[in-house]
Amino acid sequence: MNMIVQPEKRANKLKSTRIAGKLVNDYWEMVWRAKEEGKLVCWYEGSAINPFLEAADIVWVHGEAYSAMLAARHQEGPAQQAAEERGYMKELCSYARTHLGCAVSNQRNRNDTDTGVSNAPDDNDLASKLPPPDMIISAYAYCSTGQQWDEMTSRLFGKKIPIFNVSIPWVWGSKPDAKYLQGREWNETSAYVERQLMDMVKFIEERTGKPYPWDRLRELMTNVKRASELRLEAMDMCTATPAPASFFDWVVSIAPINNLPAGPQIVDYFQTVRDEVAARVASGEGAVPKEKYRLFFDGIMNWNKVGWLAEKFARYDAAVVTGRYTHMAFWQEPGLIDPQNPVLGMAQNYLICPNNHAAPILIDLIMGLCEKYQVDGMVIHASRTCRAFTNPQFLIADAATKRLGIQTSMFEGDVTDESFYKDELLNSRVEAMLEAIDSRRMARA
Amino acid sequence: MDGILQQFARVAADPLTYARDWKARTGRRVIGLFPMHFPGELAHAAGALPVILQQDDVPITVGQSQVFSFYCGYNRSIIDQALRGEFAVLDAILFGDHCVQLLGTADVIRAEVPGLPILFNQLCSVLDADWAMTQTQGTFTQLWRELEALTGAPLPPDAVRDSIRAFNRNRALIRQLYDLRRAGKVVLTGRQMQMVVKSSMVMDKAEHTTLLEQLLATIDQSGVRGNPVRVFLSGHLCHAPRPEVLDLVEDCGGLVVDDDLYHGFRFIHADVAETGDPVEALSHWYIDRNHKVPCPTRAIKGMDWEDYLLKAVDRSGAQGLVVLMAKFCEPHMYFYPEIKEAFDRHGIPHLLIETEHEEMPLEALKTRVETFIEIARRKAAA
Repeated sequence: MNMIVQPEKRANKLKSTRIAGKLVNDYWEMVWRAKEEGKLVCWYEGSAINPFLEAADIVWVHGEAYSAMLAARHQEGPAQQAAEERGYMKELCSYARTHLGCAVSNQRNRNDTDTGVSNAPDDNDLASKLPPPDMIISAYAYCSTGQQWDEMTSRLFGKKIPIFNVSIPWVWGSKPDAKYLQGREWNETSAYVERQLMDMVKFIEERTGKPYPWDRLRELMTNVKRASELRLEAMDMCTATPAPASFFDWVVSIAPINNLPAGPQIVDYFQTVRDEVAARVASGEGAVPKEKYRLFFDGIMNWNKVGWLAEKFARYDAAVVTGRYTHMAFWQEPGLIDPQNPVLGMAQNYLICPNNHAAPILIDLIMGLCEKYQVDGMVIHASRTCRAFTNPQFLIADAATKRLGIQTSMFEGDVTDESFYKDELLNSRVEAMLEAIDSRRMARA
Repeated sequence: MDGILQQFARVAADPLTYARDWKARTGRRVIGLFPMHFPGELAHAAGALPVILQQDDVPITVGQSQVFSFYCGYNRSIIDQALRGEFAVLDAILFGDHCVQLLGTADVIRAEVPGLPILFNQLCSVLDADWAMTQTQGTFTQLWRELEALTGAPLPPDAVRDSIRAFNRNRALIRQLYDLRRAGKVVLTGRQMQMVVKSSMVMDKAEHTTLLEQLLATIDQSGVRGNPVRVFLSGHLCHAPRPEVLDLVEDCGGLVVDDDLYHGFRFIHADVAETGDPVEALSHWYIDRNHKVPCPTRAIKGMDWEDYLLKAVDRSGAQGLVVLMAKFCEPHMYFYPEIKEAFDRHGIPHLLIETEHEEMPLEALKTRVETFIEIARRKAAA
């Protein structure tokens, strides 16, 4: 490929997202202090059940978030190595593999009493620093790996940790009345998950020995709902040309909506983001210096490569304006949440994680986003060990081409295992797609 | 005996041809089922031939347009078969599993074979949850209604009970073969036992049962000759391991005496109550399964695959364990370290063989299997 890439073009990231970095650091510091402060710790994966835990003053550790944090800091290696040494294979979900590696490291430090040296983990050894769980809650939408991951975590801690499972059924959507958030199947699955969440609350009460503080949950969910509304409002403004923020800005903003403490600070954060986006729209400032292409990003994030990819696409004058991971997940339907009676709405938001609707509904939603944001092409990240995201990708690519007539380009990478990422393949494929977009434009002119 | 085994082998080698012939002969429906936990009894009672859909031996070609290479051989093969038009014989597919790869496969089939109804009723995968029984009964009740809608005829409870009896009889006969093999009275190779079980996943139950009765009446019970190393096979969920791999274990001096393979004891280990409410009976069958042969795709407290395997290997008198793992099978990859550590702790020789749909270089594998057999032999002699 001969496309000339100008290295001086830099991604114009939202300034306000720097606040997210501080919030994230503060949160993990709180997690690392949990045992010193005598707090109960819950490990969980998948669905954002953290408000349930935060309300009960339980410190929460989202497995994917911890693995993503390690990968984003390029500190995932020791955890992945520890997992590999125990026999977890490289083809396993790398989120799980990294998190299980933390559990392996943690147990090694605890049990390694014969070495004559201190067992306390090095302060920089983030794998070992993760406090062990006092309880595990498994509430994973769509992907069967979540339940099995939690089962393994329980075993790594000697099967002594109480575990509670919430089953979140896949929304298959084949009944005649099935539509997004509509139909008998939707109503039945919503009620089923709601019932289980009520049982989960009983499990939490058993762990804390206290009545569940419902008022605190209502307060937190009021914040979550408002933060989500502001986030979606800011995202909607990115239909502007040039797009004021990119997919990568929204990736950086996942933690504040998904797993950080749900106090007023998340509302403040998204208010600040929203205001900056609005100011950019008013001034015509774009997320890339010279927006020439608008792209949809399908697939989960390559956490080792967030900044790298943001810069790469900026150099191509490509604004990645929307994506499945960012725009179809994380309290995506705040309208369903009634803060005074939040459990049903929480269950429903868990049911609409970006993969938990079967392909027909999922693809309709993606095509809707592509049209709304007026994208020219779709870049598809086939994440090697995240089959939940890769499952429908050929169908999505096919629909994008046939329904919308847009170009697609697929590359292989992974959520937290950098070894699956091939930079040159991405370069050549993206360049080919952009050239095809150019050719099509020239033909139309 | 050989003639019966050859009949089983023919069906096992080409299940969809059997299904097509059966359909032409009877004029009745053929209903495909995805593995590993969905009962075939209801489809049988509705007058259909329930066929557990199998991986075939054909290299993946057109299927590559809809599935990545980093998916297990079963899912890749099923998608390839669907795109090659092999499922034209099917009148519907039933499934209720939660394997993430299988969910993707179902989506592809719905998109690529739009006229083929897929009756999806997701089973609760947490078997000891307070709501597991209620939810499972609801799932099977819903399936019952959907089958009635598909066939346009009511499905009488007595017909379901008859089907349950027919399935139980079939499973019981295969378990007799397992008992005889464990006791050393009969020699059925790994390949032969796979053919027995795999054909039972496909054939008309009455026909298969008749053949099993004949087999049991005529099978050579003169016992094991020589001094082979007794081997237990474990794993290989959802689809059958290539028979050549099983042959290799025996060619290298092993004798397969027992297994927990899905195309083996896992499939036939549990029966359904023949009296009472059939939905309740099927639900108990499903919920209680993990107490007998634990499955890594299901969560239940107090039952572990490795503990079961240690006991099962001991009970069978096996001198070593061969773990057969389909590449990219996530539940198996999660549990393998548990099994490995448990068998290491107990000093029982074990060997992991990772299988792939296309590439299985048997010569390279042979050295590893020979070494394993030798270690197991020496360990037993020590």
